Amino acid sequence: MAYSEKVVDHYNNPRNVGSFTKDTPGVGTGLVGAPECGDVMKLQIKVNLDTGVIEDAKFKTFGCGSAIASSSLATEWLKGKTVDEASKIKNTDIVNELKLPPVKIHCSVLAEDAIKAALADYREKHVADAEASR
Amino acid sequence: MDHFEVFGLPRRLRIDGAELQRKFYELSRRYHPDFHQAAPAERQAEVLDASARLNAAYRALRDPISRIEYLVRLEEGRETKEGATVKPKAPPELLGEMFEIQEALQEAKASNRSDGLEPGARETLAAQRDRLLARYRDEEARLRGPLSEAWDAGGSAERSRVLGGFKDALATRAYLRTVIDDIDQALGEAGEGHVSHRRH
Repeated sequence: MAYSEKVVDHYNNPRNVGSFTKDTPGVGTGLVGAPECGDVMKLQIKVNLDTGVIEDAKFKTFGCGSAIASSSLATEWLKGKTVDEASKIKNTDIVNELKLPPVKIHCSVLAEDAIKAALADYREKHVADAEASR
Repeated sequence: MDHFEVFGLPRRLRIDGAELQRKFYELSRRYHPDFHQAAPAERQAEVLDASARLNAAYRALRDPISRIEYLVRLEEGRETKEGATVKPKAPPELLGEMFEIQEALQEAKASNRSDGLEPGARETLAAQRDRLLARYRDEEARLRGPLSEAWDAGGSAERSRVLGGFKDALATRAYLRTVIDDIDQALGEAGEGHVSHRRH
């Protein structure tokens, strides 16, 4: 299958590969998978606790080119967004940007799930931290 | 007409393989295009359809695991109309575990030398692969055994619970297969003659 140029670019030069220590304050971690193909994707955000802005994002994906490109793109988009803005990123945005063919749409869904999971983890931890410091 | 109906079977998972094959041959003869050459074009087209349907049905039902996969799709297709599908979930610990294995595998590959993997790495990986393969087989045994029996015996409430169980077990099996294939690939082994379903 022919991948779009953007997919190939993200695949060859993935942005923001790596990870943060899970327990660092402001870090939210999402670990998701696609059982259809056995892909696993970890996506993390690092939120500035004063401003609520995502300062950094990292990912590590074991899967096909589209899954890697989707999560790489997601980390680029996440940086500089507030947590609320980030929750509005949709898989269809990723599909359009990367021109994913129908058979690869589940890769973008996976990336959206990973964003949601990371945000949920951040919110949960943040609330818990705030309560603990009270 | 669904694949079970093609063979006049109820939507149950326990199917006698020899009996299924016998029926397949019998119906294959009945729908063989050669026997309908004198028939009107419309009838010939019908026969061709029936023959294609029969082949698809046999392919889906002859293997117990693909039979379950088909059953899940069939039941889901019906259920989506009512808006109730069970999303497949592998246990979260499994995801974490698969991630760690993949990470370790990547490191082993990165330190790969021209003469192969680091000393000891090959043995470690092979042992890990064998453990995962054992779990993969356990998962298949659970699908074919207790879960299939529960489906056949259960009422509709029980069946929707079993359907969720099927999906979770199939998801777990898919993750295990992927990681086993990836380890096999790193070891340079073909692995049980299994045709890898991975894409790249």
